[in-house]
Amino acid sequence: MPKISRRAEWSWLQASLPVAIVVAIGLIAIAIEPLAAQGYTPREYGDFPVIGSRAAIWIAAQLHLFFAAFVLGVPMFAVVAEAIGIFSSDDRYDKLAKEFTRLLLVSYSATAIWGAILVFGLITLYPGLWGYLSEIFAPSMWVYVGIFFFESFTLYLYYYGWDRWKKGRAKWGHWGLGILLNLWGTAVMLIANSWLTYMMSPPAEVTPDTAPGMVQFWSAFANATWMPINIHRLIANVVFGGAIVGAYAAYRFLSAKTDEERAHYDWMGYIGNFIAISALIVLPFAGYWLGREIYEFNQQMGTTMMGGFMSWLWVVQAFLIAVLFLAGNYYLWVGMGRIPGAERFMPYTKWMLLVLLIGAAVWATPRNMIADRAEITAMGGQFHPFLGVLGVMSAKNTAVNFMILTTFLSFLLYRRANKKAVVSWEKTGTTIQGALFAVSAAVVLFYGIYGYFVPSIVRIGFSVYQVLAVIAAIILVVVIDVFMMRGAESRGEIRWGEMPERSQYALFILAVTFTWLMGLMGFARSGIRQHWHVFEVIRDTSVDAATPALGYASIVISACVLIFLSLVTFIFWVGGLAEKPVISGTAVGATASASADGD
Amino acid sequence: MTNIKVLGVMIGTLAVYTWIANAIPQIESAVPEEVSFSADVSPAELVAAGAELYSGGGGCTTCHGLETRAPNLLTDYNGEGTIGQRCGTRVSGQDCKTYLHESMMDPAGYVLEGFEPMVFQARVLSGAQIWSLVAFLQDQGGVVTVSGSDVATAAEADAAAPAGGPMVASNDPLEIMRGNLCLGCHMLDGEGAELGPAFDGMGSRIATDRIRTGIIDPALEIAEGFDHLAGSMPPNLGDMLTARQLEVLVDFLAGQGG
Repeated sequence: MPKISRRAEWSWLQASLPVAIVVAIGLIAIAIEPLAAQGYTPREYGDFPVIGSRAAIWIAAQLHLFFAAFVLGVPMFAVVAEAIGIFSSDDRYDKLAKEFTRLLLVSYSATAIWGAILVFGLITLYPGLWGYLSEIFAPSMWVYVGIFFFESFTLYLYYYGWDRWKKGRAKWGHWGLGILLNLWGTAVMLIANSWLTYMMSPPAEVTPDTAPGMVQFWSAFANATWMPINIHRLIANVVFGGAIVGAYAAYRFLSAKTDEERAHYDWMGYIGNFIAISALIVLPFAGYWLGREIYEFNQQMGTTMMGGFMSWLWVVQAFLIAVLFLAGNYYLWVGMGRIPGAERFMPYTKWMLLVLLIGAAVWATPRNMIADRAEITAMGGQFHPFLGVLGVMSAKNTAVNFMILTTFLSFLLYRRANKKAVVSWEKTGTTIQGALFAVSAAVVLFYGIYGYFVPSIVRIGFSVYQVLAVIAAIILVVVIDVFMMRGAESRGEIRWGEMPERSQYALFILAVTFTWLMGLMGFARSGIRQHWHVFEVIRDTSVDAATPALGYASIVISACVLIFLSLVTFIFWVGGLAEKPVISGTAVGATASASADGD
Repeated sequence: MTNIKVLGVMIGTLAVYTWIANAIPQIESAVPEEVSFSADVSPAELVAAGAELYSGGGGCTTCHGLETRAPNLLTDYNGEGTIGQRCGTRVSGQDCKTYLHESMMDPAGYVLEGFEPMVFQARVLSGAQIWSLVAFLQDQGGVVTVSGSDVATAAEADAAAPAGGPMVASNDPLEIMRGNLCLGCHMLDGEGAELGPAFDGMGSRIATDRIRTGIIDPALEIAEGFDHLAGSMPPNLGDMLTARQLEVLVDFLAGQGG
């Protein structure tokens, strides 16, 4: 791999922008409170021209969230990459981590700017709701501002100290800054999540007659859906960070002028895809937990989410996740073309593709949907005679677990492609690995079929067994593989950079799809409150109180994704202006050799 | 050229997702309209208002559109026809109008075999809204018999009811329980339903403080074996009782020995 040195030039004034913005917002927002105390009653709603208040707030919130996810996901990516660099003494990972940390500086500004737009939007368009929330959460808002301050300055130290604290114990200290950066970022996310989850699942003792000053802070903060959302977002941010890194690498690969550059960005794209898909595999489990908590909080809300006016949303979601799995696997399969020894696995890919396609089709099969009399008559009953059977959760859980197992198999084959195990128990180990796959698949299939013959409450518990079987298989297979491939012979070096261009477009599709999926899930989470600002506590009496249909939502989501990707492209371009890559010819051979492991 | 290709892939992907989302059935979640009718309201007006409420803000289709949680009211069920056709034969001695109205006011008492009870929040709807729903359901294959006088009587009752106050004025524990529909799910001395934990012997099984908490914040701790009913008990029950009623109820239940 090429050795690329970078020279970055950033002024402290520019870097301090996000802190200044957040502090200013905090001061203005809190300063509004005394007005209410003096007897001033703010109007309930304001107007926003052309697109309306709801769309304006929606776009501001969504873009703030996209950037927030980026600036939370990428530091996780960076600190892990830096750690791999330290432990493996592979300089590529250190450079990769630094390259993305540089992009964080501008991204922080964008996050803060969209945060400012969101807060000012709330103050001017939804002053009543803002006053209510700030009265309950004022202490956490102050803490939020303070943590953001520390987070920003930790980032400055982390980035600007990269070259100064590069060796020995100083490097460990620098890595510690990276950990601290992630801790600040996570704390900020936890606080913000409490505000939005309170709107979704306020404590039972809070009613429309409860004055905000009487709401117990901790009860509101740690509400029913707070922790499930925290976990779900944490994992999703990792996926998001990986996907954006992959798209960045793909763009740089396609526009690379030299083989060294292509090799570098080919490798980076692989890392981004690996992280995104690895985290994506566990994301559905966090989603199950969140869904269960929503049902437990309010059964009617849960039913509205899964079977009411949002029932079709899950069909679209299934399609998007199928695209993610297919694009991720496709990228790996194409990538195996540049790995010597991978030919022996290629015949299996068509079967894996078949499993993924069948899984996607089952997952996207709707069962619960609102139908009128004519539609039901045409279908011959409430459920389609064949598709209705595939639309139940037993079939869907089975399908998604098979897709996860298949994707894991793709990674395993990719990892082993150019390796030849030398341990004496190689055959036994491979047989055990195969048996683990078979047992896991059998457990998933067994509970999938058995689920048709038990009541729904029992069936829900079966999904846990299916998930445990898959996770156990993944962990055990990886452990065996790590030991089995120790000291393995190489069948040849990975030819980084020798990747067809079409594979890079799969990385773009991954990034666009995941960003769009985030927007869709945001709509689902927010939309299940229906005509309530705070569910069954503060009613939405604005002209936009009705929750829009998916068609309208998709237009807003697409607009948000387009704006976000345009701004990210700009950030990447700005980042590129500050760098002057210097390809070190002597490093190419060394890095190419180091990259032969492929991971 | 690379830039154009990348842009094309991105915009193309967004366009496909947007098109799919617009190609599927478009369902908006409407806000329940406040219905206010005079005594001379026509059946057609009631049916129209009920239709809007049923498919919109009333949230009815959340359960009744699926058939997995409640029967579909707009289609045939077990060969008995649509709800307007079958409502008059559901309960012996109850005509269609009475059956529909009662089943909305006391849904736990009208759960069909094979279905689990769902909490229908009749209390969040006005009397006029309930009657408009009855009219709409009658219109599904039957004859609308809801009249303006039904609506007017309901409106008077709504006006007379204390806003946000307790459901009953009595401090008698049985009256409190009946008035707040507690016996719709809990059994006491042969009265009520065996859905939630029985009130019989509750004092010997559960501490007094836990009984109080269970009324005020039912989601805090779900009784063992009743996880599947989590969320069924009204979370605002504590707000529908006076302080005295709450203590009367707690004392009464705590006194239910084995």
